[in-house]
Amino acid sequence: MLVLGDSMNQEEIADVVDCVGVIGLDTIEYNISRFVQILRHLGVRVSLSETVDGMNALGLVDLLDKKQVKGVLKSCLVKNRKDAGLFDHAFNLFFVTPEVKASRRKKMMEEEAERNRQLDSAEQELKEVVEGNNLFEQMSLSDRHLETYSALPDKAKERIKDILEQMTANPINNPGELINRVLQSSLNYWRHYMMQNNVGQVELGPEIEASFTGDPELDEVIQEVAAQFYHNPGDQILHKDLAALNDSDIPKMISLINHLSAQLSRSISRRYTYSHRALTVDIRKTVRRNVKYGGIPIELCYRSKRRQRPRFLLICDVSGSMAPYARFVLQFIYGLNNSLGGIESFIFSENIERITDFFYQNRVFSRSMTEIINQSNQWGKSTDFYTSLKTFKDLYSKKLTPDTILFIVSDGRTVDSEAAAKLLRELKLKSSNIVWLNPLPEKDWSGKPQIRQFSSIVRMYQCNTIWHLEKIFNHHVLNKIK
Amino acid sequence: MDFNLDELKDLMEKEGYISEEELAVTVFLALALKKPLLVEGAPGVGKTEIAKVLGRVFNTEVIRLQCYEGLDENKALYEWNYQKQLLKIQILKDHCSQSEIEKDLFAEEYLLERPLLQAIRSDHRVVLLIDEVDKVDEPFEAFLFELLSDFQISVPELGTLAAKHIPIVILTSNGDRELSDGLRRRCVYLYIDYPSIEKEVKILQMKVPEAGENLNRQIAAVVNYIRTNYDLRKHPSIAESIDWARALVALNASSIDSSNFSKTVNLLLKNRDDTLQITDLAAIEKILDNADTE
Repeated sequence: MLVLGDSMNQEEIADVVDCVGVIGLDTIEYNISRFVQILRHLGVRVSLSETVDGMNALGLVDLLDKKQVKGVLKSCLVKNRKDAGLFDHAFNLFFVTPEVKASRRKKMMEEEAERNRQLDSAEQELKEVVEGNNLFEQMSLSDRHLETYSALPDKAKERIKDILEQMTANPINNPGELINRVLQSSLNYWRHYMMQNNVGQVELGPEIEASFTGDPELDEVIQEVAAQFYHNPGDQILHKDLAALNDSDIPKMISLINHLSAQLSRSISRRYTYSHRALTVDIRKTVRRNVKYGGIPIELCYRSKRRQRPRFLLICDVSGSMAPYARFVLQFIYGLNNSLGGIESFIFSENIERITDFFYQNRVFSRSMTEIINQSNQWGKSTDFYTSLKTFKDLYSKKLTPDTILFIVSDGRTVDSEAAAKLLRELKLKSSNIVWLNPLPEKDWSGKPQIRQFSSIVRMYQCNTIWHLEKIFNHHVLNKIK
Repeated sequence: MDFNLDELKDLMEKEGYISEEELAVTVFLALALKKPLLVEGAPGVGKTEIAKVLGRVFNTEVIRLQCYEGLDENKALYEWNYQKQLLKIQILKDHCSQSEIEKDLFAEEYLLERPLLQAIRSDHRVVLLIDEVDKVDEPFEAFLFELLSDFQISVPELGTLAAKHIPIVILTSNGDRELSDGLRRRCVYLYIDYPSIEKEVKILQMKVPEAGENLNRQIAAVVNYIRTNYDLRKHPSIAESIDWARALVALNASSIDSSNFSKTVNLLLKNRDDTLQITDLAAIEKILDNADTE
């Protein structure tokens, strides 16, 4: 037996390390903790005590029965329905035979090699266009940009190459920075467009929101779960861009939105009772309650401020680029309004229009929506956020009170953004909070000065899927109210 | 606990609860680890029934705390019996000193036990059902933490009261409000979805055997078709399928046709918008045709 101590030589230490390594890797505890690590990286909240519960529980069932092991780990590690789907995928991929693991590794390595080949070829093509000016080294193209380029239709590739050639040929322009910016913006646009419309020579995977561990064995599972999760039709619709919905998706999406708005309404409209921890005695209530004790004040009632329902005000961009999103956002607000009532709603593009009256309780949404589109002068036009905010300030600013949460739904593309930002700052002072829902992917915001300007004033969140909408309301809006 | 997983499954089935492997494993774990079981799912899928069945399996009483907005410690845990205390004061005021009266007034005989305290102080292991926990306010949910993790309750006048026997705790939720991570962490979790056709046939056979297997199979297929193909405000639950089966038996129906369907649809759908989707003859025939092929 080896004993740890000063007298151990290098060989003995190596033996100990080997011994511990083998024992550690072979234990159930080690594998469970690695599995838990995968779940955490996929966004499932698993605490240490839940992991310990899972390990203890495994001792109570037949370890050779995979169904039982899965059931045990699921009930101890996963505590809500949404995470159950992720757990199932992860479990099925992680607890497999070494042969399956090896073949998966082989497949992933082949895919990785193919991806690298595509990236190299895209890099080579772009290098050839700007060759001779050492411009490529100045350009900071990420793998994501190169991947987008390789997926482009041939015509689009040729067009980008033509533009680059023209720009590199012009010596006055100091082309390095300019070319970089033009190319990146163009590739960002194409990526967004191809993902929305499912076009392109190579399938662009959705953005995986999971983070990786750095351990290839775990990352393989994480990557595959994330991909499978988004390919599951039930989950996919939650993560699908609202502007890219097919006709067949719309009833399902409307149903989801109705469900979400009903759930949120219930949590907002909850009543609050008088607290026993408050400081001031409510004499009237105390006397009334203690009549049964002959007026002796045994049960004290306290005053406490009743929490007010928050007031919501919506300003929704319905310009050409925003109209597909506006329909669903308005559906969501209509659902909230049916339960809560009193949500002031406005739409804007070149100017602003009040549409609250279309959302009277119990009116059929589709009829309200048709009337709004038919009667509105704003639907599908270009955006002038400044003029719209100015009109709002002049005509409707009384509707903003210190307890109002103002929602702005817009991609931030507007003329005169500086003046609009100034007005936005004024409105912020008059409201409780301004929440900006932006359908553009957050990764693309940095290249857009207008968005940078607005996001420095208000809290801006990426919101182009129903999953985003739910997350924003649950984690950022309702929590702040409470 | 004296039995294993398969025995528990059999016992639950004997008491009228058909459970799949995952459900049985989760209930078994909650019992074996002595942890609360949090059950979520749509109304009518059999969440509360788990507690009742466990009460029968263990031959013990089920103490139920029905949750609602504004529920507080007085109604859930304990209250002092003020009337009795007042009487005591009146009786003793001429005979004893104030300190002696005070000493007696907060004895256990003046304590009115509410469901949580009853479950903790019971002389035998009971089932504690905390029903619709999503209806309570957040402070009360936080108050439940002490009970659910340590199975003890602090009464300021008496000190900490630990459970004599750790109760079998079942919490149910319809998902009206997101429960806190703290509460979820302390529980073993189970989500009950609507049953498959086969499972629903088994349930119907157990609850309404007089309907016969053919009718029960047809009922399960129709209900399953409605759940999966109609966007309803409230989907028909298992409890509603059972009611429907009983109604059809009462009408002496041996199979479902468009006539008895339209007469009894109100037992299945409980919302006007939902019934409007299914009341016309074409819709009913479509449902019956498609359900037959399933």
